Order: sequence, then C-alpha cells, then structure tokens
Amino acid sequence: MNLRAFSNLRRNYLRNSASDVSESSLAFWLLLPAVLLLALIVVYPVAKVIHDSFYSISLFSESGPAFVGFSNYVDAMRDPDVWRAVRFTIALCVVTVPGALLVGLGLALLANREWKWRWPVRLALLLPWAIPLAFSGMIFAWFFNTEYGVVNDLLRRAGFAPISFLLIPQWSFLAICIATIWKTSSFVALILLAGLQTIPRSLYEAAALEGASRWQIFRHVTLPLLMPAMMIALIFRTISALQSFDIPYAMTQGGPARYTETLSILINTTAIEYMDVGYGSALAVLLFLLSMAISSVYLRKLYKGAL
Amino acid sequence: MLKLPLRWIAAAVLLINGFFPAVWILLTSFKQDAELAQTPITWWPQHPTLDNYVHAFSDQPLLLFLGNSFAVALLSTLLTLFAATGAAYALTRLRLRRRGLTLTALVAIAMFPPATLLVPLFEIMRGLGLINTYGALILPYAVQSLPVCTLVLASFFQQVPKDIENAAMLDGCTRLQALYRIVLPLSAPGVFTAGILAFVNAWDEFLLALALNAAPGSRTLPVGILLYQGEFTFPWPVISAALVVAIVPLAILIILFQERVISGLTTGGIKG
Repeated sequence: MNLRAFSNLRRNYLRNSASDVSESSLAFWLLLPAVLLLALIVVYPVAKVIHDSFYSISLFSESGPAFVGFSNYVDAMRDPDVWRAVRFTIALCVVTVPGALLVGLGLALLANREWKWRWPVRLALLLPWAIPLAFSGMIFAWFFNTEYGVVNDLLRRAGFAPISFLLIPQWSFLAICIATIWKTSSFVALILLAGLQTIPRSLYEAAALEGASRWQIFRHVTLPLLMPAMMIALIFRTISALQSFDIPYAMTQGGPARYTETLSILINTTAIEYMDVGYGSALAVLLFLLSMAISSVYLRKLYKGAL
Repeated sequence: MLKLPLRWIAAAVLLINGFFPAVWILLTSFKQDAELAQTPITWWPQHPTLDNYVHAFSDQPLLLFLGNSFAVALLSTLLTLFAATGAAYALTRLRLRRRGLTLTALVAIAMFPPATLLVPLFEIMRGLGLINTYGALILPYAVQSLPVCTLVLASFFQQVPKDIENAAMLDGCTRLQALYRIVLPLSAPGVFTAGILAFVNAWDEFLLALALNAAPGSRTLPVGILLYQGEFTFPWPVISAALVVAIVPLAILIILFQERVISGLTTGGIKG
C-alpha cells in the first residue's frame, strides 16, 4: 500500500530540486507538530529507557538510582524467565504471522470477487478489526473454557473428552494462536485487498485469453503482483506479533505457571508491577533490538523493491 | 482452481470465522445467569432477558467508559490528522532536505513496542500532570497512528494534480491556503481513511490505558470491561452485554462506511 508512495516520493524529490527559501521554512512549520510529538513520545522515552537500563532503579528503595553498567543486561541473559518469554514470543510470531497472512489472503480474495455475497464477506472482514484485542482475548478465553466453552461443547458432541485448554501449556499456546490469528487476519486482509485492487483487470483477461487455468492465473499473475502488499502486511504483522500483549494477557494473564508470558507482559510486570525500572528498561531495550533486527531484514527487502 | 463447492465451503468457513464471536456474545447477552451454569451449554437463549443490559450499566459506569473511550479516540484522531497532514504535505510537495531519512524514521517509529516506552511515558505523563487524564493517552495514541496516517495522506496528496494547486496560487492563494482549500478537500477519502485507522487504533489500545489511566474516573472501555469480573466470578451474560454495548458503536460506524473504508485504503494504494 505504502510502497508506491515511498518510491514516488523519492522520484518527485529528485525532480523538484528548484525551489525557494520560503518553502523550506513552510516545510519546517508543517513538520513541527509531528516532530514535537515524536520528540516527546518517542525520542525522549527511548533515550530514557536506554539510560535507565544501565542503572539499578527501584521505586521501593529510598536511595537514588545507582549506576550498574551492563549488569542488568547480564542478569537478563542469565534469567530463565527472560529466555522463556523470548521463546514464547518468537513461537507466537512463527505461528501467527503466516497463519494471519493465509487467512487474510483467503478473506481478501473472497472480498475482491464481484459477486452478490461481497458485502457480508466485507463485513466479516472488518468486524474482527473493530473488536479490540483485549475483548477478543476475553471472548476466546471463554470459548476455550473447560466446562462452559464452545470449543469443548463441540468436542463433547463429537464424542471427545473436553480439554482444559487454558490450564495446559501447549493447549494454551494453541488457543492464544487461534485468537491472535482470528483478530489480526482482518487487518492483513484489508492490506491485501488494497493490493489486489491495484492489479489491472486487463492482465487477468489477457491470461484467460492465453488459456491459463485459474490456478496458473493465481500463481503467475495475482501472487507476484500482490507481493508488495504481502511484504507490508508481513512487516506490520511481525512487529505487532513481537509486541503481543493484549490477547495473551486477557486469556491467561501469562499463565499457566508463566508459560504464556510474552516479552511485553514480562516488561509490564517487571517495570510497572514490581517497579524494578532499571531491569525492566534493559528488557525493553532487548525487545526493541529484537524488533529492529527482524524488521531491518524486511525493510531492506522493501527498499530493494521500491527503488 | 477452486471447484464451486470448495469455494462455497471456503466462503462459509471465512464468514463463520468473521461473525461467530460477535454473534455468540450477542446471543449470550440475552441469556439468564442460570443458563450459563448449565452443561451441556445452550447455544440459543432459552428465556431471553434484557436484565444483563441493565446490569451492564448499573454494575460499572459503562457510559463513563464509553465516553472516555470516545473522547480519547476522537481527540487523538484529530491530533494525528493535524500532525500527519502537515508532515505528509511537507514530504510530498515541498523542498526538503533528507526526505528519505525522514520517511525511514517515520517507519522506524512504528517499531517501538509500546511496552518498551511504558516506564518513561509514565514518568513524562506524571511530570506533565497528565496521569489519569485524557492527555496521557491522546498524545501516545496520536503518535502511534502518525506513521500510517502520514503515509496514507501522502499517497493521496500525490494524486492531486499540481496544476490545480498552482492555479490556485496564481489566483492569490498562499501555499497553506492551497493546502486547506484545494488539496485537503480533494483528498477527503484519504483523510477519512487515515481518520478511521487512527480512531480504531485508539479505541483498541489496552496496555497504555491500563498503565497510565487506571483510576476509576478515567478508564477506557478495554480497561473498564475487565472490572466486571469478580475475584472468583465471571458474570458472562453481563460482560457480554457490556461488550455488545462497547462494540456496537464502532461496528455501526464500520458497517455504514465499509465501502469508503475499503475504497479509501485501496485507492490510497493504487496510484500512490
């Protein structure tokens, strides 16, 4: 969606080198609100988090912050809770990102068809988007309830024994994945639908004239032209999956036995509930580095596509 | 590739996937408490009642939560649109050094996990005296939506022909007037799309709302609805009624504007 915008902006920039001084100053004033907001909400907090991560700061102790160098980071590396949260967060990404892309692609292909059932499909596509993450988590926690959940009701009807989904680690992972895919495939579908609509109809007509099968058309026309939109969906989805908080928190509060604790939940618990600010900040920096490392791979691909 | 029955099955699965949770809480909101304690569970309400809706409003200040969510979402959307309009216009139309860098920085911002900024945000908001006020949420929400909204608006601004703008300026408009009188109205679908994206994002947010605005008077819907559960009780029919009340406004908004939301997002992508 934003890919073309990106490359066009660059091209226009190269084209309009002639200009005047008043334009630069107007540009300054127009950019000012955005820059001020970013400075207050992002730049300063990021600097503060990095700074705090080198201190031992506990809001419970009377003495002030003490500089401890890298010891928060060393502690984090040795902390089994951190590694468990990293493993769980990455596992969540590995399952839910492709899952949401696949379901989102299905929804987008259906919503893109010219047929009379298009509006219910579009509504089905938008509805999960309109239900806040935390609510989705609550609703799915209930669906997977051992006694009163819909899922176990269906299992019973099919003759299986009910499963305590949210009390057994592996099953709660599955339940959280399903809830996450359900909620996030909606936004993916929106992005992919935008991508689908950019594919010229004439290409399909030409391919059909050549006698291509539906699968061939999908494979050789739709899929390649959908790649930019797929990349954007992939980036957004991966970043937000790494930051997963709402759905696991609402479904299990990180349980059973902290098994479903994501990095975001761990940071929230450490820094806000236990007020261990220094250590929480170090964890925050690590999460940010992880997000950057993963998304820089994507961004490089995106740039290569754009230029 | 798909044979007809297979396509219909796929459609049915995806439709059920989209609608089922919403339909389920709607059905539950009319059930009586006793019905929820039955096993096997019932799917259709046996003795429909509206009591849960009465309880939803009387057990917790649901109207207050709704009002808070609405105010926060609307105000942060307006702030985002204001900042994003300026930024998008500067990036698309004006001479600017380091344009590429600015754009990259904008995308990179989307990568800061809210959880990582929680502690300093808490301190900033406390320093500004904004904890438990709308301001504590409006500012971060506006920033969260800023990158996407700027890119959407930029791609719409690109589609407005420069000639129209130049003509307006020959007729005596300043550049700023050209922006507000010509470019913005012509980009109305883009403004609308960006607005909806920002609004939904703010309406959805939970982590910051939980950390920054947890006081009784300033809770937003996602935080407030958690309060219906007791320590050991989970009054699902009442929670369902509250969820229905919470979801309906946005659902109506989206049903009314579904064509515009989708066409806004899609035209944003076509030309760019």
